[in-house]
Amino acid sequence: MKKRKDLKTVLNDFKSYLRFWIKTFRGQVTVLCLIGLAILPFITTNTYIIGIFNTFMIYTIFAASWDFLAGYVGQVSFGHAIFLGVSAYVTAFTVKFFLFPWWFALILGAFFAVLFGLIVGVPSLRLKGPYLALGTLSMSLILYELFKMSSLGLLWEATFPGTELFGTTGIGQIIIFTDIPQIFYIVIFIIMCVVVVFLTHFVKSNTGTILKAIRDDETGAKASGINTTKYKVIAFMISGFIAGIAGGLFTFRHTGVNPGIFQPLYSFYAIIMAALGGIATISGSALGAFIFVFLGEILRLLGDNPNITGTIGGFVEPIFVFSIILIIIIRFAEHGLLKPALERLKSLWDLILGR
Amino acid sequence: MTQKLIEDLLSFLVSAVIQGSIYSLLALGFSLVYGVGGILNQAHGAFYVIATYIMYVFINGLAGVGFTLGLIFSLGITTIIGGLIYLVLIKPLKESHVSVVIVTFAFAFFIEYLVGILVDRIPHKIEDYFIYFGASERFFTVFGVDIQYQEILIFIVATLLVILITLFIKKSKLGKSIRAVAQDSEAAELMGINVDKILAYTLMISAFLAAIAAIINGPLGTVTPYAGWPILINSFAIVVLGGLGSLPGSVLGAYILAFASRFTQSFINPIFGALIPIVVIVIMLIIRPRGIFGKKEID
Repeated sequence: MKKRKDLKTVLNDFKSYLRFWIKTFRGQVTVLCLIGLAILPFITTNTYIIGIFNTFMIYTIFAASWDFLAGYVGQVSFGHAIFLGVSAYVTAFTVKFFLFPWWFALILGAFFAVLFGLIVGVPSLRLKGPYLALGTLSMSLILYELFKMSSLGLLWEATFPGTELFGTTGIGQIIIFTDIPQIFYIVIFIIMCVVVVFLTHFVKSNTGTILKAIRDDETGAKASGINTTKYKVIAFMISGFIAGIAGGLFTFRHTGVNPGIFQPLYSFYAIIMAALGGIATISGSALGAFIFVFLGEILRLLGDNPNITGTIGGFVEPIFVFSIILIIIIRFAEHGLLKPALERLKSLWDLILGR
Repeated sequence: MTQKLIEDLLSFLVSAVIQGSIYSLLALGFSLVYGVGGILNQAHGAFYVIATYIMYVFINGLAGVGFTLGLIFSLGITTIIGGLIYLVLIKPLKESHVSVVIVTFAFAFFIEYLVGILVDRIPHKIEDYFIYFGASERFFTVFGVDIQYQEILIFIVATLLVILITLFIKKSKLGKSIRAVAQDSEAAELMGINVDKILAYTLMISAFLAAIAAIINGPLGTVTPYAGWPILINSFAIVVLGGLGSLPGSVLGAYILAFASRFTQSFINPIFGALIPIVVIVIMLIIRPRGIFGKKEID
């Protein structure tokens, strides 16, 4: 009985918040962007463009999950690729060999991701210092080594004939949503909106306040009777679950998965996108992912152009450029780009309206 | 039968000791930086990559003088980069641990892709140094086991360096300042020690040790931009085992990890060999988070 009332008040609060929020400048810009995103698949049927936008939205989910953990709980994970990868593998495996429906495989994958994350996460979260950062990084690297091992792949195929799991090729030909790309786009779009709305409101809830208290002063939070480990683990699980959802979508987007997904590279992606948008701004992840995906695509196209690669060499390699950008952002613009960008936009808008 | 067993055991011992020697150099530097400055240097593997690639480029590009020049440049440039990382990236961000970790992580990627662009991303081999200097054979045989000269070199150099570094930290004036900063950096600063200078030196020592490890291990390993990451997690597993910031702990931890992973690879199953670092990390975090020689305050 009590729980139901809680949900009702939460929904009412959310409604009144929405009414207020839509009148703010930030709300208007967001709604405009969302409308643009929502109608995009009906304007164009170009699969290349839709594909890029799909990647952008999946990365937004992924970056938001990292940003939640690092920005609001202060727990920096360098192995978010664990969640992405485990979930991608489980989703691919169950969809291909057990013929599970995609949504069930997606949720199952996310649960497995959380499970694997907890194996290293729980012991490290009990401690201070670098344990979480390097523990998660190690876990992702070791999963990479394991999954790309071809001897293990042969062993697996001998034990479970007709299925494949390990080996450098991974699991391919996951054909879902390929007939109607618009539906896949809308599915990702809805999941992204739900994730971002959930996270932005979760950090304002009571639990979110406790998490922020842990981030700002762990000893103080402990002294106030908060079981910090419990809350850190909860946050870790939520973050892992959301990253896992991104991992499952990632499999569908690329119609397959290979061991490369466990590389530290993908953890790096999450960090750069979150840092670009601004750490501790969930919606900043969307801006970060947007810049990351589109700049990355431009750099890749430049790199494919022989005239340009002839003059500036391979220096347009996206990850090389992004590692420099990340260093610069962390060094000089710790708060990311979302807030300054919104302020500039607002003053420009005011100027146009003559206010 | 017994002959086979002796051969297996001997080759296991040799490879484990060699691996332990390399790991001890790498973990020593990693642990030193964490112990003195509380800096978690994710770019530790990048030092190894830089040194390996400089050595590879010189040995491959220049006949005759390539080795000597490679040695000088590899050690020099890596050490200087170690100092520069501190001054340019870590020092301005010292207040925020998270930023330091992220910046060094980004730097590791920067190096990985920089060497990929400047050289290429295909795995290479460095020519054996003894062959390079005109030796006819690169190994000798004891009880049916081939022992490379390179492995003897690794063992001698690594052991000497571990002893020298320990003496240096214990006895020299700079070593004393390093220990003072490790104990209490504020008090050290009040006593007139330039903490930033000490931390820069510490990172340079760490980079130097990683470069030595890269150079002596060069002909036995593969030259690839990705090599830094396994180095980083092995160093981390070792310092978790030995105790973060404890120097004897990291040397002992290095040999334990090397023996454990080589043993698994040789006698149980090569597949499980890759799992050893994470198993070590998880077990240590659960049963004794401060490590074998760690201080109490960590857990």
